[in-house]
Amino acid sequence: MSLPSAAPAFALPPSLPELAAVDFKPPKGERVVLDNGMVVYLMRDNTLPVVHMTAYIRTGKLNDPLEKIGLGELTAGLLKDGGTLKYRPDEIDKTLEFLAASVDTHIGIEEARADLTSLKKDLDTVLDIYAEVLMRPAFSPDKVNLRRTETLEMIRRRNDNPGRAAVREALRSFYGPAHPYGWRSEEATVKAVTIEDMRAYHANYYRPNNIILAVAGDFASYEEMIAKLKAKFGAWPRGKVKFPVIPPVQIRDKRQVFHMEKDIAQAYIVILQKGLKRHDPLEYPLTVTNEILGGGLSSRLASEIRSRQGLAYTVYSYSAKKPDLGYSLAYCGTNPATTARALTEMLRQYALLTREACPAEEVARARDSIVNSFVFRFPTPFELITERASFEYYGYTADYLDNYVENIARTDSKSVLETSQNLFKPEDAMIFVIGNSKKFDKPLSGFGPVTELKED
Amino acid sequence: MKKTTKSSPHKAPCGTGAGKSVPGSPSTETDPKYPPVVSYTLKNGLKLLILEKNFVPTVSFTMLFKVGNVDGQQGKTGLAHLFEHMAFKGTQTINSADYSREKVALDSVEEAAKELIAEESSETPDLKRAQGLRNKLAEAEKEADKLIVKDEYLKLYTALGENGLNAMTSTDYTGYVVSLPSNRLMAWMAIESDRFKNPVLREFYRERSVVMEERRMGEADPGRLMWETLISNAFTAHPYRNPTIGWMDDITRLTRTDAEEFYRTFYVPNNATLSVVGDVNSSEVIKLAEKYFGDWKYRELPARTYTKEPPQRAEKLVNLFFKAQPAVRMGFKNPGMNHPDIYPLIMASEVLTNGKTGRFYRNLVEGRQLALYAAAGASTPGNRYPSLFVIVSAPNAPHTVEELDAAIMAEVKKLETEPPTQWELDKILNNYQAEMIKQLESNSGLGMSLAQNEQLMGDWRYDWKAGEELKKVKPGDISRAAAKYLTRDNRTVVFLKAPAGKKKDGLKNQSPQEHR
Repeated sequence: MSLPSAAPAFALPPSLPELAAVDFKPPKGERVVLDNGMVVYLMRDNTLPVVHMTAYIRTGKLNDPLEKIGLGELTAGLLKDGGTLKYRPDEIDKTLEFLAASVDTHIGIEEARADLTSLKKDLDTVLDIYAEVLMRPAFSPDKVNLRRTETLEMIRRRNDNPGRAAVREALRSFYGPAHPYGWRSEEATVKAVTIEDMRAYHANYYRPNNIILAVAGDFASYEEMIAKLKAKFGAWPRGKVKFPVIPPVQIRDKRQVFHMEKDIAQAYIVILQKGLKRHDPLEYPLTVTNEILGGGLSSRLASEIRSRQGLAYTVYSYSAKKPDLGYSLAYCGTNPATTARALTEMLRQYALLTREACPAEEVARARDSIVNSFVFRFPTPFELITERASFEYYGYTADYLDNYVENIARTDSKSVLETSQNLFKPEDAMIFVIGNSKKFDKPLSGFGPVTELKED
Repeated sequence: MKKTTKSSPHKAPCGTGAGKSVPGSPSTETDPKYPPVVSYTLKNGLKLLILEKNFVPTVSFTMLFKVGNVDGQQGKTGLAHLFEHMAFKGTQTINSADYSREKVALDSVEEAAKELIAEESSETPDLKRAQGLRNKLAEAEKEADKLIVKDEYLKLYTALGENGLNAMTSTDYTGYVVSLPSNRLMAWMAIESDRFKNPVLREFYRERSVVMEERRMGEADPGRLMWETLISNAFTAHPYRNPTIGWMDDITRLTRTDAEEFYRTFYVPNNATLSVVGDVNSSEVIKLAEKYFGDWKYRELPARTYTKEPPQRAEKLVNLFFKAQPAVRMGFKNPGMNHPDIYPLIMASEVLTNGKTGRFYRNLVEGRQLALYAAAGASTPGNRYPSLFVIVSAPNAPHTVEELDAAIMAEVKKLETEPPTQWELDKILNNYQAEMIKQLESNSGLGMSLAQNEQLMGDWRYDWKAGEELKKVKPGDISRAAAKYLTRDNRTVVFLKAPAGKKKDGLKNQSPQEHR
């Protein structure tokens, strides 16, 4: 797609050559639907003797029952590790590892996945294991216990990295500990999960009509690969999938400050504000706005807080879309003695975006950055076809990817200002800080009513 | 699963000096064992490696210098890394409104900074004078700011559509990477040749503060703290003992003058390899490299003889008290990547670690359920000099680090009493070969690997050649290498433990309830 805006509007030093636009149309690949409802995306690529697959299974940690948070994660992890009706766990490990192949099953907040990588010569063996893992897991009790032990140990260790803990705990305070967007698994909820729960979870969600599969790599033809997939998955019956009702998000539009006391070398600051529901067309100007605010080393947050003032190594912002209200987040790690200074500057940068229109040149640069680096979303055929599958999974229109660049290119100073005014209210933003308050340059109470939390 | 020789961070294996290209004549690899890399060396010694790949119109660049923290002086640790940060601050034409005037302003900044550092470093610093000098430095910086075009270098790349613009410093090397749409080839050549020929280290003291924050971030992270503790305790004399980011006290005394001296010494074309992987034409790359980098001056490099690490004579056990869950890091001195024993040691690390069928997982994670994880790597923190065979692990509560350590050492001992089976070795070799194929998928990853192997180890084909060496290793070789190197008096162990508090012994402290 050649766009006028895709050639940098930025004034280049005189010694630099003229720059052309980036012209790249992502290839389509093939899409077929098997009789049992499984959607399959394919892209042939014979450059290397390797085949990759990934399946999107429509579920996620957000579908866990409140008293059994961790059910989805245990189930997903054990599909492979717990063996299948046909293969014992150690047979799976031995076969895959000897062939240098992999089958991995895991889960995120809004998606469950199953990945396969195999050398072309071993595909039939590996694909048979992959299909068994998806369709007929056995949940061997030894492996269930092992996975539970690991999960409990990970819970014990969840605060070891304070930067990561800050983001997780900030979201927990933002959405509330009982809402799926904010919750975390606990010792009690993990212990409450039984093997029967996992079987029922698998039987409900792991159904062909609830799966989108992406396949890329070295196969002879689409017909051949589709025939292979039909042979493995064709007899898998459809199921009626029941989804829980996720309670609506409730966000308190009023300044709150949360502090977690911890004597460590840096303080970690997270600012959270209400974001967008997925498919809101405001996502385009918001993406550009975030690029300007905290998208890279030349963004406003990095330029001011890092390069000009030397207050941080890590400082950034981003926005996350959700089925219900997502969030905008800004993050900074700083010397405890400059906590208030860094926080004040972060809030000031949000306020600035709502008060003054960004210079056209700055908007153009942010747009160019997104448009010109678009091609990096597809470094390999597998990543391209996975991206296409994921857009269908997340309910975007079929041409979303193809129109993305045009939609970003439409953003201008006016839409950045309107979007900022619409979404950013820094005076009401939630603030979350982990750090040693005795060393802070100013007390957090200067930013609003403080709730003290204990690390747990 | 990583290639065996890449099992520790920031590293490439070393090797023989075979396969060098002659200046002025490009050579294309035609042996089907290897990818068809085009090699070319400029007259000034800059080495080029080019691989054409055409799925998407992008290209990945890696400019890699054989200079790392190991080449810094004692008292100036962290200089290699700080220079790497400074290499994003522009040149005489980029980031500058008027360099001739800016130069004068920068010299005033440098003078003020040196005065301040001298005062702060004196035995009896005068606090009032120091504050006055701090204000003077701030004033001088403000003047210099007026002549800066803020972040122009970064903004150029933002607009060009960069992906993964970054740099990394290890104890062995410094690498500068970026991927761009492939029609930016000439722009990259123009910007980067200016960057490495004419860097201006403006905003030095602010960037030094950024690095101090980077160091503080590491001090808050038990993982990084354990590595620093292990490495600085394991080495007594060799400069590998110094953390790449530098000791905080050294960082506070580094000056722009130090960094410029460091640049003049090590940033020369005959100390660098440039790899270009992606949708490019190799003869065009060579033509442009000649045009833009051809006049970069060759300079002799200093001899790099550093104090050899003396043989270790005692087991070193270190208790690191930190408020985090318990963990173990240990390192055994290895003989270096040029020693033939390194191949059985690499195989030993894989026998222990490779997958769920690896011995650590089978026996420590699954069998006895002592460990949350356990892994080994044959060479950390570097490959240019003898380094460490490392093992990392953490216990599942309520097991203690001491119990875990005993179990790890028993597994290590078993390498002698129960030599690896042929199945274990074949599995490792299969994985190595598959990894050699899969590494060709990523332009940036492959570019980094080619540049590291060429520049540090003398041959971009090193990974393939090391694979041949690994095939020759027999089970008995692994047992012998384990018996020789993986011994108590050759090791350093760090136990991460929660601060003792009021508890009497370590065992109580490990129980999970203590940390809730």
